[in-house]
Amino acid sequence: MRLVSRLAGLFVLGLGTAPLISQTAIAADTIVFGAAISVTGKTAKEGEYTRDGYQFAIDTINQQGGIKVGDKTYKAALKYYDDESKSERTAQLVEKLVNADKVQFLLGPYASAPTATAAPIAEKYKIPMVEANGSAESIFNKGYRYSFMVLSPAKLYLRGVLDLVKSLDPNAKTVAILGENEPFSKEVAGGAAEYAKQLGLEVVYHELYPSNTQDVSSLLTNVKAKNPHILLGAGHLQDSLLVVKQSKDLGVSPRAMGFSVGPSSPEFRANLKSDGDYIFGATQWTSALKYNGDDPWKTPQAYAQAFKAKYPAYGVIPYQVAESSAAVVVYQRAIEQAGTLDPAKVRDAIAALDMMTFYGRIKFDKRGVNVYKPMAIEQLQPDGNKYTVFPIDVAEKTAIYPMAPWDRRAKR
Amino acid sequence: MNPTEFGQIAVNAVLLSGILALVALGFSLVWGIMNIVNLSHGAFVVLGAYLTFFLHELVGLDPFVTIPIVMFALFLLGFGVQQVLINQVIRAPLLATFLLTFGLEILIVNLVNYFFKADLRSVTTRYTGTGMSLGPLRIPYIRLAALGISLLLVAVTAAFLKSTRQGRAIRATGMDIDAARLTGVKVAQIYALTFAIGASLAGGAGSLLSMIVPFDPNLGETYTQRAFVICVLGGLGDVGNVILGAILYAFVDVFVGARLPEMSQAFTFGVLVLLLVLRPQGIAGKKLYA
Repeated sequence: MRLVSRLAGLFVLGLGTAPLISQTAIAADTIVFGAAISVTGKTAKEGEYTRDGYQFAIDTINQQGGIKVGDKTYKAALKYYDDESKSERTAQLVEKLVNADKVQFLLGPYASAPTATAAPIAEKYKIPMVEANGSAESIFNKGYRYSFMVLSPAKLYLRGVLDLVKSLDPNAKTVAILGENEPFSKEVAGGAAEYAKQLGLEVVYHELYPSNTQDVSSLLTNVKAKNPHILLGAGHLQDSLLVVKQSKDLGVSPRAMGFSVGPSSPEFRANLKSDGDYIFGATQWTSALKYNGDDPWKTPQAYAQAFKAKYPAYGVIPYQVAESSAAVVVYQRAIEQAGTLDPAKVRDAIAALDMMTFYGRIKFDKRGVNVYKPMAIEQLQPDGNKYTVFPIDVAEKTAIYPMAPWDRRAKR
Repeated sequence: MNPTEFGQIAVNAVLLSGILALVALGFSLVWGIMNIVNLSHGAFVVLGAYLTFFLHELVGLDPFVTIPIVMFALFLLGFGVQQVLINQVIRAPLLATFLLTFGLEILIVNLVNYFFKADLRSVTTRYTGTGMSLGPLRIPYIRLAALGISLLLVAVTAAFLKSTRQGRAIRATGMDIDAARLTGVKVAQIYALTFAIGASLAGGAGSLLSMIVPFDPNLGETYTQRAFVICVLGGLGDVGNVILGAILYAFVDVFVGARLPEMSQAFTFGVLVLLLVLRPQGIAGKKLYA
């Protein structure tokens, strides 16, 4: 009996701390980037995107020779652990990466909450962390000097949907906002509410629900009673799916429905099939955007092509992949400009950076936030495809508006 | 809250309580009879959801048709798992059962993750999202059917426990294992049967959930927690207690969710703590399935 319990204990521990190292042997002339990434748990999928984006950029840079530091050329490598989508675990693992694994630089985890726990550790050891998946500005309002984000900040996420609807329908007057109660989504929801008021829209409902919720029917029942023209959801993929499914269940049919996270990933359509039609989704990046950058790929189209060649399992490339690659590009440029691996000097080079990339402009404000890149909006259209519809000057197609009410849609 | 909203929210709560009762019943049986708090219960819910998903997606079966298949498959799996693993920790200290079932949960979830990836899935059919209108209230067909099937399965389980020889043997084992053994009950078999029924009910709940919520391999954890709360709320006494616990849980969750959505989880667990202080035996609870 004692043996069994001991074995069970070992088994649990063994699974809990198994390191996930992408490269078995790390040579001396290698710059090691460390990250805690959610490969399992709630944001496992997005964690995979993050990892693949980092790894793809590192592999591409290595193929093209590596990173030049003075007259020496280094290879790059990624070392990561699974934080199980738990922020407290992220902090422990980042500490371990710095102390035990002696990684030279840090890349961010997936999502704002874990990024918020990783940032103080980067600060404590004075090691830069360029992150690509935590867009809550609260992280950057604490005066950290070593953390940087390549993303457009959370409060900008849903602005595009409001701008777009306003341009299509000056009579749209009311907005309902549902948000997940965690730092990133709260800022998305708050930013949308504030901007809606600036545009003269009335926010008739604005509530937060707990993370990991399995049911938003109560909130949607309240929303239905307010009959808003626009319904905005600020959460993660699972919540967005739930809001759409239960909106249909309860017959909540606004003129437009938009989400901060969800519609841009292929699973959104796979789960909802034609129920996903007309829905708007914010995105940091799409391969339809027209940027011409100075990096290993130059354009979004070239990036998408190269990534797909290496990871054929991906259909449409999620923005999390591109932004994660962009974080690695920032290091490449900053390290080359600094001409040294000294963390403080690389930090200064990152802070001074201003470059155009396949991902958009990257330049950081005093806090380390990339406020110089706009968000794009995509729409799932009834032809089964997803199109970039905003900003209007780089749009692939015009948005279809209003959304057809649930009870007046043709059965497939 | 106007009357329409109130009515809709009450409908939502009733619809939720059926499936919660189904999840909690299997959990409660294993806990009450075998004295094992089965932390891997949610993993069986996950397996049920995935089985239905693949039978629907690959074989083209209607998700409701898959329910008996899923329940049978989970019954066999539960039987096997009990014989090979759980039998090792019967009458072992609580910690050993926790470790084993917790490890099992991690194993199953990670295997599902490995084979099927962490992609979110939903079973989407032609009738997904359709429903009937009762005045201003909307009742989605799938959730209504899920409530009906849940109640049916709960009733069948209750009848089985009450009226069949095997069912009585299960209850006898729960009451006094030594006395049951003396009267000729093969306890090892009864334990395997109990665990298999628990897994089977969890699988059925997973089937139903796959049509209602988007899921990934981590679906189960929430349901293990909810089953635990419901069992404590209702007490481990009998099937009726589970239903009572599920209804209480659903109403607190849904009504608090309507007014103070941020606080709904805090409230449901708050009720749990309060009840443990005031009535540690549960709302209606006796100790066992007597």
